[in-house]
Amino acid sequence: MVEIALGTALAAIGAGVAIGFAGLGSGLGQGMAAAGSVGAVAEDSEMFSKGIIFSALPETQAIYGFLIAILLLVFSGLLGGGAGLSTTAGIVAIGVGASIGFAGLGSGMGQGIAAASSVGAIVEDDEMFSRGIIFSALPETQAIYGFLIAILLMVFGGILG
Amino acid sequence: MADEITSILETIGITPETFIVFMIVVIMVVGAIVVIVTTRPILDIYPYLNPIAKVRARKGRLFSEKQITEIVDANNTGEVVNYLRGFPDYAPYLDNYSLDKALDIQLADTYDLIYRIAPKEIKKSFKIMSKKTDIYNIKSLIIAKEVGFNADETRDLLIPSGSMYDNLEALVDSDNITSIVTALDGTEYGSVLEDALPKYEETNMILPLEAALDNYYLKNLLASTEVPADENKQILFSYVGTQVDIANLKLIIRAKEDGLDYNTISSYILSDGYQLREWKLKDLMESQDVSNIVSSLEGTKYANILSDALAEYTEKGNVSVFEKALDSYLAKSANSLALKKPLGIGPIIGYVSKKETEIRNLKIIARAKREANYPASKIMEMLI
Repeated sequence: MVEIALGTALAAIGAGVAIGFAGLGSGLGQGMAAAGSVGAVAEDSEMFSKGIIFSALPETQAIYGFLIAILLLVFSGLLGGGAGLSTTAGIVAIGVGASIGFAGLGSGMGQGIAAASSVGAIVEDDEMFSRGIIFSALPETQAIYGFLIAILLMVFGGILG
Repeated sequence: MADEITSILETIGITPETFIVFMIVVIMVVGAIVVIVTTRPILDIYPYLNPIAKVRARKGRLFSEKQITEIVDANNTGEVVNYLRGFPDYAPYLDNYSLDKALDIQLADTYDLIYRIAPKEIKKSFKIMSKKTDIYNIKSLIIAKEVGFNADETRDLLIPSGSMYDNLEALVDSDNITSIVTALDGTEYGSVLEDALPKYEETNMILPLEAALDNYYLKNLLASTEVPADENKQILFSYVGTQVDIANLKLIIRAKEDGLDYNTISSYILSDGYQLREWKLKDLMESQDVSNIVSSLEGTKYANILSDALAEYTEKGNVSVFEKALDSYLAKSANSLALKKPLGIGPIIGYVSKKETEIRNLKIIARAKREANYPASKIMEMLI
């Protein structure tokens, strides 16, 4: 059996929380946006490209979660075989995962709802496209906050560097 | 730090492995709670997203006020048809049918579409709405036999749509109204019409048969929404209930205008409504005249609407002013309900209501354009 330090094991939990919850939010959001887009494309085939744009928007939360998870796995020594993390740093890693995980969950779902609504508005009135993009981009900020805090926690919590 | 945590854990008799398992369990429990709490509203929204996009696409294709004005400015029915041919929603129908029939089929297909795409929880109500076409066709058959139309003339009245069209088309050769009712035995309308048949035979008027069909439709529609389990169904209940109340009000007003008494009216009306419950309807039916109906409505949402129309009624002496006021109210009410749940039933109700209004307005325009030199300003006044 591979020997894993307690801190590294805790960081693995953090990585799981990061991509797990961010991916859940992103998936739900993307599902909602795609459901709306399919309905729009069924009525107006020219909506395909716009539908793709709005369906792709909630992808970013999963990317943030994935990035943080990879960083945690690499810097905790789980990937690449580096030195393991201390228990304290491992606990910080759970905070890192929770930060981007939960922020990504809320942000992804919110963005999905806004994107699905925007698709509905655009298929009714084409001039709503730019306004729809702005409204749909707003819930991105929560994921950015979560991502920033996750990075700061890693830098000042002894995981990065 | 790690040593301190380890020693604390050891003091309370927990090994580091047990602690990790505990942490995992805590995270899983917290995660499960977060997932359940956050996804519940999403699950309510999810079934509506696809239908909403479809109806909003169609709503975007409805005629604007400017386009309606352009149609009103047409010189005759031919120009109206040519104008409508420029729109994909109407063009295919106009290639095969007359203007009125094309509009009827378009509306019937709209009900059918909404029934097909509506989420499961509200499907039943829209299925009942889609039966309007069958009821219209049965009524047309009855009217055709009443006035003595031949098979071709009768067929011309039917809307070639609805789940029973083939069966109903086969009845255009029926000898009389009784044989139509007999032929419908075994369908959901069989017993409804059979119950009203003695009254028809007694009075020799088709009104009891028509009223029985209307009441059957409205009763089923109201019953389909009577358990408003969530906000979507509450909104639907409000929309459908208002339709039932307005249908009852229109019938009572027209009956009072014709001087009918309580006993006569009560057999044609749906005994219970939404805001206008049984006792209120009894009050209204017992009113002496139309003005008394308006004062009896005090305290309901219909009082102001009809009070505003009362002056015009006194001036013109035509109850159609009340009917127009009630139709406008229904359209406004549907519009405000449509805004209540933008990620739920709202856009669906908004679209159905606007489509009904558009078709009704186009029919008004088509009828007016058949008369030479009918003033555009008068047509605009008649529109809802």
